[in-house]
Amino acid sequence: MAAQSIEIRLQGISATFHHERRGDITAVKNLDLEVRPGEFLTLLGSSGCGKTTTLRMIAGFQKPSSGRILFGDEDVTRLAANQRDIGFVFQNYALFPHLSVFENVAYGLRVKRQGAALIESSVDAGLRQVGLHGMDDRMINELSGGQQQRVALARAIAIRPRVLLFDEPLSNLDAQLRVQMRSEIVRLQRELAITTIYVTHDQEEAMAISDRIAIMDSGQIAQIGTAEQLYLRPTSRFVAGFLGSANLLRGTVVAAESAKTVIDILGHRWELAANSPVAAGRPVDAVIRPEALTLAKQGAGPRGRVESRTYYGDKAEYLVRVGDELIQAVQWNPSTEDAFSDGDQVCVQLPASSVQLLAVD
Amino acid sequence: MAAFVQTIAARSSVRPETWLWRGGLLGIWLLLLIFIVYPLLMLFSRAFLDDGHLGLQALGAAISAPKNLRALGNSLLLAMMVGVAGTLLGLIFAFTVERVRSARRVSRLIDFFTFLPLISPPFTTSIAFVFSFGPRGLITYELLGIKNVQVYGLTSTFAAETLTYFPIAYLALRPMLASISTSLEEAAFSLGGSRWYAFRTVTLPLVIPALANAFLLLFGCSLADFATPLILAGSDFSVLPTEAYLQITGLFDLKSGAILSLLLLVPAGLVFYAQERVVAGRSYVTVTGKAGVLAQHDSVSGIAGAVLLGFCLLVSALIVYFYLLLFYASIVLAFGANHTLTLDHYRVIFSEGLPAIRDTLIIALIGMPLGGIYGITIGYLVGRTTFISRKAMEAVSMLNYALPGTIVGIAYLLAFNDEPLALTGTAAILIACYVFRYSPIGIRTTVALLQQIDRSMEEASASLGAGSLTTFRRIMLPLILPAFFAGLGVVFIRSMTAISATIFLVSINWTLITVKILENMTEVALGPAAAFSVFVIVVVVLVTSMLNVLLQRLTAPSLRVGKIGA
Repeated sequence: MAAQSIEIRLQGISATFHHERRGDITAVKNLDLEVRPGEFLTLLGSSGCGKTTTLRMIAGFQKPSSGRILFGDEDVTRLAANQRDIGFVFQNYALFPHLSVFENVAYGLRVKRQGAALIESSVDAGLRQVGLHGMDDRMINELSGGQQQRVALARAIAIRPRVLLFDEPLSNLDAQLRVQMRSEIVRLQRELAITTIYVTHDQEEAMAISDRIAIMDSGQIAQIGTAEQLYLRPTSRFVAGFLGSANLLRGTVVAAESAKTVIDILGHRWELAANSPVAAGRPVDAVIRPEALTLAKQGAGPRGRVESRTYYGDKAEYLVRVGDELIQAVQWNPSTEDAFSDGDQVCVQLPASSVQLLAVD
Repeated sequence: MAAFVQTIAARSSVRPETWLWRGGLLGIWLLLLIFIVYPLLMLFSRAFLDDGHLGLQALGAAISAPKNLRALGNSLLLAMMVGVAGTLLGLIFAFTVERVRSARRVSRLIDFFTFLPLISPPFTTSIAFVFSFGPRGLITYELLGIKNVQVYGLTSTFAAETLTYFPIAYLALRPMLASISTSLEEAAFSLGGSRWYAFRTVTLPLVIPALANAFLLLFGCSLADFATPLILAGSDFSVLPTEAYLQITGLFDLKSGAILSLLLLVPAGLVFYAQERVVAGRSYVTVTGKAGVLAQHDSVSGIAGAVLLGFCLLVSALIVYFYLLLFYASIVLAFGANHTLTLDHYRVIFSEGLPAIRDTLIIALIGMPLGGIYGITIGYLVGRTTFISRKAMEAVSMLNYALPGTIVGIAYLLAFNDEPLALTGTAAILIACYVFRYSPIGIRTTVALLQQIDRSMEEASASLGAGSLTTFRRIMLPLILPAFFAGLGVVFIRSMTAISATIFLVSINWTLITVKILENMTEVALGPAAAFSVFVIVVVVLVTSMLNVLLQRLTAPSLRVGKIGA
């Protein structure tokens, strides 16, 4: 349907702004990124991390202060937005208020001076794809937020762009609609096979829709990979803490062998089926997800005291004090019988796997 | 994404680097220099230079002359009184319409009556005042039988100006009151305060910045008002604008006129400065955009509400009475002496007065499109693009609007009397005066509209392949078109009604209805003066209503644009 999917490459791009009071601010620092042809890649990060600036540079709304942007083999760094052949979906939709639904979707085609018949059929197809067939004559202010976002989507794909860019498109919708819209976006993207970059701060959304996620921090990519890779194998304390919740425990490596590491942690000796990132005798951080921990009345493992239990229906969350550390543990499908109460003495059972060890710098 | 990125992005705006762009900028600056900066420089040099040397003797003499000091004092006293009384009246009206439940039903009526003085020729109220309270006035002579009554002086000038200008305070205060949620009053009420206590401790403190702003607006209006004092102040109560006018037209003393007009500049400048400070500081009122939502809570007791509403209706009735009186005077043979119905006065204005009507309409019709284009061009430039002299352009373009008309009129007279720009006696000088003096409203409307149009709108257009010209033509232009018509409308209304600046610029070849009315008044030809006024009011009401309908149709549904005349 679409032309050949293309690859997007960012090579060492930076964005520096001048701020009247704060002087020069670097929003994006020497960033490299490769997006594969047809891939759905999400830039995930908290506000101010540079994800939107990166997206706007790819769109051509902002010029990078250094670096190159390539669409396929074409260097588009110096091209204006209107020459890049992109589809951009804005957070606030940015629909033209003086035009009807039809004219909004037709806008890009009219700019390209396409024939009336072609415009008619393209807009019709576009509106069908987003489920707004028959709404052609509505004005924008007569639509709900979800419908407006669909029009914005139809408008962006009507021109058959080489690249689809989304800037937090669902953040103005309510939770239920958000879930529905995101599966529609994924469906459309698969159908059209257009290389897509999606910006969001919502990690659940990112994990649900992306082929790969790039987690950004202070203008740089902290880690890039599939949701599973990022969750299970974070390479930094930042990523470990950012995606989901994690217990980050400091320990010392006692023995490091191939696929077997022994560390000293929480006053206990713990054997893991993993390679150590550092040599024996060096400190190490263990990333342990709360759901990987089990609480027991007794057994091997560090002992602690239950500080609180929060019941969520599908799970119960415990905070357990072990020495100086406060450890988070999650119990799935909790029942009243095996529940611990505040003040109970428990044994925290460390898993032998699904633990990530990080070198301490 | 972080707010600062947006403010930064806001500055990385469209800048087509072409010869067209540079040439256009240069052309606009040239116009601003010729029609705004140059006349003011001429005014200053005439006031302060003697044979090319800085000479402050004339200035010193002018300042120390008791006559001029009195005029300055009178101007300030009058402006102070009008400012206080007009603000109070405006507050009562705004509070009544926004907070008294029974007033909501008549709010449209009140709006219309308060709208009338805003679009009338400046001395409509004054003329009606003479008809009502003059030597042969309906009330003073016919009703009360007082002979040799003295209508001219401070009291009637003050009363007429207050009635003319209080709608400005009403319009400034009403949205402020509407934006203060009644739930705040309910909160105070629920905490045990009385209604009066809630008003005093919650509502009033919140509107104080708006009150200060309204006061300054009225102070400035009164200070610059030329027509009302010319008709009502009389010889004993001189004010600066009329004194400057008499120096120039009576004594042909351009230098003294220039100096007197500049004396006005000091308080006018202070007012402008104070206003900027007030506007900048009134940040703690949040506009909820829910104006007109019916309050469940009564902010005032039933009796107080009735008193307030009664008062507003009384003042409205007074305004209506003045306008009816004006109309009546235009259809009787000789008001105060012979009340036989006649259309003679209209015959006069459409025969002998026809040149003035024709001239005024020609000037207004030529000025309209020019003012509209000028307004959105500068509005777009200062509101949406970046270039080195942007701030300067914004400030300079506002000058002629901010300055009292007397200053602008004398400056134009001095600048365009001789070569190289001898425009005196032409229609061009009148058109230029109106365009550069009244288009700033179009500029402000454009900027206000642009602020409502998110920059993503242009980015969306660009992402769909449109170049900056296409984006301007197909997206921005349709969206700011209402500002074009607003600017057009204001230039038209002012061309029909203004006098303070253009009275210095009319000639045998080109004159204006407003000047004709003034002549009629001084010749005690009250009938034609009334007929002219009625004609102007009818034309202006018709044109503004048509433009307002057009504005509503043109404005994209989610945007807001103020009404003309407001």
